[in-house]
Amino acid sequence: MIELFHIWKQYRKPFWALADVSLEIKKGDFWFVTGPSGSGKTTLLKIIFRELLPTEGQILIDGVNVLKIHDSRIYRLRRMMGIVFQDFRLMFHRSVFDNVAVPLQVAGAGRKDIRRRVFSCLQKVSLHHKMWELPSSLSYGEQQRVAIARAIINNPEIILADEPTGNLDPELAFEIISLFKDINKQGTTVIIGSHDRELIRHFGDKIIFLQKGRIIGKETRS
Amino acid sequence: MIEKLRYFFRLAGNNLWQFRTRNAFSVTIICLSFLTVGLFVSFSNNIRFTVKRISDNMLIVFFLDEAAGESEIESLACEIAANPFIENVRRVSPAEARESFKANFPELQDLVESLKGNPFPASIEARIAPRAAGSTQVTLFIEKIKNRAPVTDIQYNQDWVERLKALSRVANALGFFFGGILVLTSFFTVSNVIKLNVFARKNEIEILRLVGATDLFIRIPFWLEGIALGLAGGTISLVLLFFIIQIFPVYVGSSLGAVRELLTFQVLDTSQCLWIIAGGAATGLVGSATSVSKFLKV
Repeated sequence: MIELFHIWKQYRKPFWALADVSLEIKKGDFWFVTGPSGSGKTTLLKIIFRELLPTEGQILIDGVNVLKIHDSRIYRLRRMMGIVFQDFRLMFHRSVFDNVAVPLQVAGAGRKDIRRRVFSCLQKVSLHHKMWELPSSLSYGEQQRVAIARAIINNPEIILADEPTGNLDPELAFEIISLFKDINKQGTTVIIGSHDRELIRHFGDKIIFLQKGRIIGKETRS
Repeated sequence: MIEKLRYFFRLAGNNLWQFRTRNAFSVTIICLSFLTVGLFVSFSNNIRFTVKRISDNMLIVFFLDEAAGESEIESLACEIAANPFIENVRRVSPAEARESFKANFPELQDLVESLKGNPFPASIEARIAPRAAGSTQVTLFIEKIKNRAPVTDIQYNQDWVERLKALSRVANALGFFFGGILVLTSFFTVSNVIKLNVFARKNEIEILRLVGATDLFIRIPFWLEGIALGLAGGTISLVLLFFIIQIFPVYVGSSLGAVRELLTFQVLDTSQCLWIIAGGAATGLVGSATSVSKFLKV
């Protein structure tokens, strides 16, 4: 469970990127965080995976205060999360296989295990046939699927995706969110930052609306 | 664990190849630094070798009065031989001294032949035991014999040995001074090259951080890169040094005349070679580690 208590974040005075944000996200939830550009979506996600520290407030993940984790122990938090970025953040001089294998290598998995799991994961995102290609030879949609494969390969408890469909056409965007839905069905908590109303209307069960750093509404559909 | 090691070595290898031009520059600087150190150490080795050779054959020559009687000379020889620091004693007659001089300095043979009579005095040559060379007891013994008849003069080459030893120390000190400056230069070069490599891989490092890589996991490949650069630099410097040692006597040595033996380079022994290689590796590692810890905020 992810709990945010009165989170405030300020990059420069007098503007607040996040203002008094409190949230409770249960295990296995599928949330959309939406709002216009500059509303604080990315800041919120970055604070959850502790790339940023809030100016004020507390965050608990499974009862652990994230802000009190020592810098040298942050890797433990990151290993329970899969993160997908709008700009993919792929290593373009390394193969699709290498990109997807990174979280396993970091965790010290064996070579055979890595091969098996990378292949299986790339099968899930229908990219197993392009395993040895460089990301630069792939389309935007394929690159995004590589980033998703990297995020899910470690079977994380939480997936955070910041505008994962930002560069994609509507058809591909639907395909990508469907993929997240499938992952969510297996019990993974998924939080997606997006401003794509069509996607949210179609897939959004739980939605947080942000504006100027404040939560202006929450919607839960059954 | 083995998988991680494989990953570290593969990544370090990839980076070494990917940024090969700047890495080659780094290796060159390390190589030149340790070549300088190696040359001075080699020169110093040669002096120490010469000193040892002289010390092992250290002689005290007691020149005798022409008028000295046989019993007087024999008694002196016995007294010298009885000293525990003297290995053996040899009496040299004026005729033997003359022949010996002619043999040692053939270019002056004509001059010796032209002399009327024999100007070379009789002498007693006492060989000092190697363990006693340079000791104060030997000096005291010489002082004691100096004023004893029929001794007229004493020749003892300990002063030369001391001068050579001092020269060896100076060569070592100069080597470590200039080498030290160059090693410092190579340290900064490695540091900057690794810094460039860190910047070039900034994106990758960012990704590693986000997927849960530990600080150590990110740093180890850079350390390996530094060690590899240092090892390569140190080893190449030894290869170059070997060639210089081989070539120097051929091209320069012949023109040096009498000082040739003193100014040649002696091959480094195994421990010195290992020190140079280890020094290269340490320079690479420290250069890399400081750069990574300074520029890699994990």
